[in-house]
Formats: sequence, structure tokens, C-alpha cells
Amino acid sequence: MIKIEHLTKRYDDTLAVDDLDFEVRPGVVTGFLGPNGSGKSTTMRIILGLDHPTKGRATIEGKRYAELRDPLHEVGALLDAKAIHPGRSARNHLRALAASNRIPFSRVDEVLEFSGIGSVADKKVGDYSLGMSQRLGIAGALLGDPGVLLFDEPVNGLDPEGIRWIREFFRSLANEGRTVFVSSHLMSEMAVSADQIIVIGRGKFITQGSVDALTASAKGSVFVRGANHQQLLAALKAHQGVVSELNDDGLSVSDLSSDQIGQIAFDAGVALYELTPQRASLEEVYMDLTADAVEYGSTGARNE
Amino acid sequence: MSSDVTLGSTVRSEWIKFRTVRSTIMGVAITFVLTIGLGALITLAVRAHWHSMDPTRQLIFDPVSASLSGILFAQFAVGVIGTLFITSEYSSGSIRTTLAAIPNRLELVWGKLIVLVASIFVVAEIACFITFLMGQAIFSGVVPTASLGNSAVLRTVILAGVYLTLLSVLGFSLGLILRQSAACISVFTSLLLILPIIVFLLPQSWQNTMSKYEPSELGHAMTSVTTPGNDFGTWTALLILTIYVVAVWGVGTTMLIRRDA
Repeated sequence: MIKIEHLTKRYDDTLAVDDLDFEVRPGVVTGFLGPNGSGKSTTMRIILGLDHPTKGRATIEGKRYAELRDPLHEVGALLDAKAIHPGRSARNHLRALAASNRIPFSRVDEVLEFSGIGSVADKKVGDYSLGMSQRLGIAGALLGDPGVLLFDEPVNGLDPEGIRWIREFFRSLANEGRTVFVSSHLMSEMAVSADQIIVIGRGKFITQGSVDALTASAKGSVFVRGANHQQLLAALKAHQGVVSELNDDGLSVSDLSSDQIGQIAFDAGVALYELTPQRASLEEVYMDLTADAVEYGSTGARNE
Repeated sequence: MSSDVTLGSTVRSEWIKFRTVRSTIMGVAITFVLTIGLGALITLAVRAHWHSMDPTRQLIFDPVSASLSGILFAQFAVGVIGTLFITSEYSSGSIRTTLAAIPNRLELVWGKLIVLVASIFVVAEIACFITFLMGQAIFSGVVPTASLGNSAVLRTVILAGVYLTLLSVLGFSLGLILRQSAACISVFTSLLLILPIIVFLLPQSWQNTMSKYEPSELGHAMTSVTTPGNDFGTWTALLILTIYVVAVWGVGTTMLIRRDA
């Protein structure tokens, strides 16, 4: 279990992490979601004791990272797959890591095989593709067979086969009772690979919940097409309907159910040609949630 | 349960890292080539021109420091080895993996230091003894030679290796502070080469008091059988250079512990 308590990190003028407070529980895959620059990586670096928090703390099984006696046996992490000396071979890289925590070299061969890079283990890491580096990073995280695993944007650079492999891998780690904490800026990825999702934006906590609950919380809308859109619009507004979109094709209405809209149209004497309830996708929920928290958004896409 | 991460395991890990990159292997090879190769060239040149040499210069000729003159070049090679041992962790980003495995930063610095000092000391002493013995063999019969049986000579050859080891630690310590290879190597080179030029431009009286504090001049004092000019004595020079290196190392270590990785 990872516990984040009132965590704040300030770099000079920027508040990278602003009073975050959440828990990451074992046995499930927890997605850590937020736009680029929202503080995900900073939070992970603080969990690993690499950056010092300005306020608050991050603990693993109740202990700060620096207090862990056998760090690689307790926590495995993949932060940046390319952050390995390019001139060293994968095997030597893992052996150096293993030696630091008294892990036998036989375990190095095991994780190399498991990650699917056993055949290229003696090649220089600098010659690896991003996908191979990700697999090496995963091998490194597994070295000490830890109960808590952190992955920062692990899907980047993986091919479709690799993505499927990593999803199943996260799932199996969680099923073994481990704590699996995976960051991503892609909701679509988290929707399929995570059970629980924590959303942050601009360093602030936004929401937390299961994928299903988040989707359910989404405000749906109803697409309406009828004989007279102007007349329909007036009638819907009179009934507190919110029309978010009006064009030649039809209207997008929220805050009213399709039953209510059908009744209003009937009362107003407007013939309806189409009445379609539309459920917001998880992607839209996420865009909605983080719309105000996008650090470098394209201004055209902002709905303010 | 006792901790798996100890100074011993840290040393073992860092030793694997140290010997598995080409920059170390190349650096060690270059240290040998520069120390022994240039030692050979210079001693051969002295032997060839000995009879045409000014008799007063013949009188003060030091066969020990002449045979060891390759260390003037090798000092840059060992400085680079020391620097890259830490700055390559920052340029590649692997420092974060390293610190996740060894969260105790003081222990990490000690581990790296032990590996660096032990390796460079062995390499430098072997190079210095070989170049000394080779130099005396080249001088033999023409130029006066020195023998390791003389304790002052033995001390000088050993201190030449110590000087190189201290400079590798200086490079490493600058790396802890600056984190960037290019910046470290610039500063390192400036300290050894540019600082004496600047002091040389100062008034004579300032020069006399200041030049003996230059790292390169301290090295000169350590690697000469008789104390040159107005330099410090051998042991004082060693002490002052050690204080410099420990001070820079202390600043670097404190910065590593305090700063975000």
C-alpha cells in the first residue's frame, strides 16, 4: 500500500504537486491519470525518495522510501526506460542493481527471460528500441520480487503485442496481491488496464474511483432531431433543459432524460425524427475533469 | 531482519558499474599509455641530448621526476574517469535507478569513492612504477639514475600514484557538484592549467606566495625528490592537496544528499 498525505512539491515558482492525498491499495491495478505536466512523475519521484517533498509525505507500507531496509525487495519502479547508461549491457545493468540489494545473479537471468529480452541481454542498452528498454525497465522493477510496483507511462513505445503483454502482466501482479500503480496521460489506456483510477490536474487531486463509477458519473446527453429546432429549443429551455449544441442536424440536450424530452416535444407539437441518449465516453469524462488543468492545452480545444 | 543494502553490497554494485563501461576501460588504457609512453619519450629524449645539456642543468637534473613526467598528461585521464563515474549517471538518468536501489546517499557516495580510489590507486601505482623503472633503464649508462632502494625515491614514485588518485577524486567530487561532464572537465582543466597562467600574470610577490598553492604545483612538490623552488615540502603538499579534495568532496556529497535527484 502506498499512502500519499498532504503531499506538496514546489520547484522555484511552480507548484508541481499541490496537497495531494490518496491511497493506492494492494490487489488492484491503480491508474494514475493526468495531462502531461500535472505532477504524476513528480509524485512518483517523491514516493521513491528521489525528490524531497516541500510538505506532506509519501509512505510505502507505513515507511518513507529512505527508511526501507531492502528497497528492491519492497518496491520495484520503472520511471524512465531510457534512463540507463547506454554503453552498458542489459545483463550488466541488472547485475549491478542486483548486487546492490544482494539479489543472486540467477534472478537477473530469470527476469531477462520473463521480459522477453533474454536473447539480447548482452547487447548495449544504447542500441535498444524504446520498447526493448521498457521491457528492460520492467525486468529491473521485478528484480527483487517486490510487493509494490510503480510504472511511469509504461506503455510508451510498446508495440500492440507489448501493450497487451503489459496489461495482462499488470493484472497478474495485482491478482497476486501486489500494489500496482501505473501512471498514464491516456484515459483510453487506463480504461482497459486499470481497476481504480486517480485523476490529478495541475498537481491537484481531481477524483478517485473505479473505472465503472467514473463512467457512470459522466453526464450523458440526448441527441434530438425534429421538425422545428427553434420551437423545440424554446420549449426545452422553458423546462430547464441545457442545449449544448444546436445546428442543422439537431440538438444536444443535457439535464433532461429522453423521456422528458419526448414529452416536451409532444406538448409543444413538434414532431421528433430522432431521440438518442448518448453516454459520455470515459475519454470525455476525463477531458471534462481535466479541462481546466491542462498545462499546455491548445486554446481552440478549451471549452471555457 | 538486517538490511540487504550495506556498504559492501554498494561497493560490489558500483564495481560492476565501474568496470562495465567503455569510458573506464579507455580511461585506464589512456592513463597507462600517457604515463608510460610519454615517460619513455621524455627519458629517451633526455638520454639522447644528455651530453649537450648545460652542466648546471645536469647538476640539478632529477631522474625520478623526469621519468614520471607522463603523469602531467595522465592527470587529465584520471580526472575524466572520476568525473564520468558520477556525471554519466546524470546524463543517462540512471542516477534515479541507482538511488532507488541505494536510498542512503551517503552510503552511495562512499561506495563509489571506495571503488574509484582503490581502482585508480592500483592503476596509477602500476603505471608509475613501470614508467619509473623503464625510465631508469633508458637512462642507465648515460644519465645518472635513481634507485627504489633510496627511501626518498620510493616515496616520490608512490606519491605520484597518490597524486593521480587524488585528482580522480577531485574530478568525481566536481561531478557531484556540477553533474555535467563538460562543465566538470572544463573546471578540472582550468584548475590545473589556467589557474597557473592567471597567477603568472599577477605581481611577482603575489606569485611567490600563491603559486605553491596551485594543485599542479602541489603535485610537482609531491613528485620531486628534492623540494623545487619555493614550493611546500612533500608532506605539506600532500596534506594541502588532500584538504582541497576532501573539501570539494564534502561540498559535493552534501549537495547530493540535499538536492533532488
